[in-house]
Amino acid sequence: MNGLLVKLAIAAAAGSLLYSSPIGAQMPPPQKENQLPPPAKRAAHVEILNGPALEIAHDGIAIIRWTTNNPGGDDDHYAVAHYGTDPKDLSQTAKNHIRLNRGHADTIFRVLMQGLKPDTTYYYKVTSMGAGGRSDGEESSVNRFTTPAPGQVTSAHPPPE
Amino acid sequence: MRRDTRALVKAAFATVLGVLCVPLAGSEAHARPAYNPYPSGILPANLDSEITRVRNEVQTIFGRYFSEYQALTPTLTYSGNPPILVPNGYDAQRILGGLLNFDENMSPFHTEACSFCHMPYAAFSGPIQSVNLTMIAYPGSAHYRAAKRTAQRYTYSHTFPVLNYDPVQGLFFGGNFWDGRATGMKLQAPDAEQAQGPPVDPLEMGFPDIACIAWRLSQASYRPLFELVWGTDFDINWPSNTEKVCSTPNGAFGSNTTPVALSAVDRTKATNIYDHWGESLSFLERSPDISPFNSKFDWYLKNPSLYPLTADEMAGYKLFNGKGNCNSCHLDGRSTTLTPGETDTGNTADVQPLFTCHGFANEGLPLNPRIALFYENKPDPYGFTPNPDGLRYRDLGLGNFLRSGPQSFPDPNQPEWLSLAPSVDGQMQVMTARDVALTPPQCPTTEAGTGKPYFQKEFFHNGYIKSLKQLVHFYNTRDTSYAYPVTSGHCPAGTVERVTCWPQPEVKNNLDMTTGALGLTDTEENQIVAFLETLTDGYNPANPTVSTYKNIDTFTGQCSITTPGETASNQGDKTLIPTWNLAQFPCATDICGVPPLPTTPIP
Repeated sequence: MNGLLVKLAIAAAAGSLLYSSPIGAQMPPPQKENQLPPPAKRAAHVEILNGPALEIAHDGIAIIRWTTNNPGGDDDHYAVAHYGTDPKDLSQTAKNHIRLNRGHADTIFRVLMQGLKPDTTYYYKVTSMGAGGRSDGEESSVNRFTTPAPGQVTSAHPPPE
Repeated sequence: MRRDTRALVKAAFATVLGVLCVPLAGSEAHARPAYNPYPSGILPANLDSEITRVRNEVQTIFGRYFSEYQALTPTLTYSGNPPILVPNGYDAQRILGGLLNFDENMSPFHTEACSFCHMPYAAFSGPIQSVNLTMIAYPGSAHYRAAKRTAQRYTYSHTFPVLNYDPVQGLFFGGNFWDGRATGMKLQAPDAEQAQGPPVDPLEMGFPDIACIAWRLSQASYRPLFELVWGTDFDINWPSNTEKVCSTPNGAFGSNTTPVALSAVDRTKATNIYDHWGESLSFLERSPDISPFNSKFDWYLKNPSLYPLTADEMAGYKLFNGKGNCNSCHLDGRSTTLTPGETDTGNTADVQPLFTCHGFANEGLPLNPRIALFYENKPDPYGFTPNPDGLRYRDLGLGNFLRSGPQSFPDPNQPEWLSLAPSVDGQMQVMTARDVALTPPQCPTTEAGTGKPYFQKEFFHNGYIKSLKQLVHFYNTRDTSYAYPVTSGHCPAGTVERVTCWPQPEVKNNLDMTTGALGLTDTEENQIVAFLETLTDGYNPANPTVSTYKNIDTFTGQCSITTPGETASNQGDKTLIPTWNLAQFPCATDICGVPPLPTTPIP
């Protein structure tokens, strides 16, 4: 039995040697492109830099997109749209999760509205807030878009060919 | 010390006998009545032979850990105050975890180890390519019961904190399992509590009672190691029918979760053993055997000049952090920005980047009608019905767990968390991106059409995605004009599902909109895939073509070969099947009808 144990121990030791990972001295030369950009600073004042505008609308849904400087705070944010068919009654609300990128100078917000009627003009304004409920303080003016006819797609961001 | 030495020698002898007594794989697969409520094509044709293959591989690795156990120094002992296992307690605990993970005796018929669904060459996710294409979830001990989701990778699961709700962030963090139901509340380690799930899950290993783990361990050849590491008291007065009970799959005893009749004192001992079982597996998962932090990317972080990424990998990394915005959730420990043309002269923020935020998100995956669970609405030969909801089952993920819904665990913090369920419906755990591309050496990629043999994996919680190209393409185009108000299998003529057609999400509530229309080009998608492949552990810069990942050499199956016309984009398309009419089978009331209700109805 002792002999068997010794054999098994040797086998195990040999096995462990196979898993070792010695690092040799031969390494590729440095490359200039192996460099990364530096961190961005968060915005002192949150403001909308681009949009809001319709990203896509079809089949009863619409997505609104806008860009702010990085609002910082909670990593998880909400993109919020208040909307309706009457510009004086934006009583419907759509809200979606957006994950902030701590390193990005800008943040793209996107919100999905569902249950929309075709061939209908909708009015909306957007804002954003941290997942904890704190507003980022910015709010757009009232904008509008018109949903397409059934089966049609309106898109400002076509997919890659 | 003499006592320890004698114990180890006895253990070694018993272990030799134990290994010799391991039943041959597949020898009893057909001796019991099989459960097959599935439509044709859900169970892959080669399922039995593949089960046999994986069982053989499991036994091989068990043998390797057994050899390591035998090679342990006999002078292991406790020293100091508090007592510490020395001199190589880490090895003892790791090896014990390995023995437990690959021991087929930890299942009713001695046929299914934990690792059956989690093999090293797949980064401890699903090892059967045909299952990854057809039934998504893996068959349990009682053939052919199967569960509801993909087999989640073990790698870096130990890094998740105890499930907690951060009221400032307004978010849940931590836990294990896709729905976070292994909270870690008791053992303070979610992956330890994750390990406690499958042994008594009727759709997985399937013991009827957690005491069966203590029973089988009491007979295990490596029991002395367990006793040494944990100081465990196996002196339990076992009823004469214990083996008979433990050889019966869970579900056969109705709602009785303790069919092994034990005194209160013995029940406590058995429960403690079960807790230590989970803790040993947790240690294994945090060990270099599973989570070694030695990918090509780790070497790059160590010294970008000495260990550079290729041009495509580096472009992919910049896209991962920039336009792709992947690192908003899959955090890489670096500080980055979209600003081009600048140079990083700062220090690495985290030299062990985990590529997860430890949070949850609903990425809007379509319902996958291939998941076996949908069809398990009839009693099996043991009188157990795995999924009474049948086609009305919907996967609300974390929301279902907070409601203590079916196919999950009871929520241990209901007074505080139940009201939050609607805010997390559809959310699943954000897994680490590390090792997402890990495959057996002979099948060096997950991607068809690359000119290399590939290993067919499945991605996300429901396995809908079949390649990394598809995964990135999904994030890139989910919300573009490729989005259609259809279910899987019903994309319009002229479109190709997963290429130019994305069916609607299974759960639209709480959809994460960070991604979905990224504007990446086809080349940029490929570059992100190239970067993801740098996250594969086992990279040795001195010999980059030979992986050092432990036990990666154990795959004995056949690689997948690209067929004419097949690419990573359309990989797996032949196994798409049509989804049933959701209006005819709406979400079940025990899932979607439990207050607080989902914010909008789930189709």
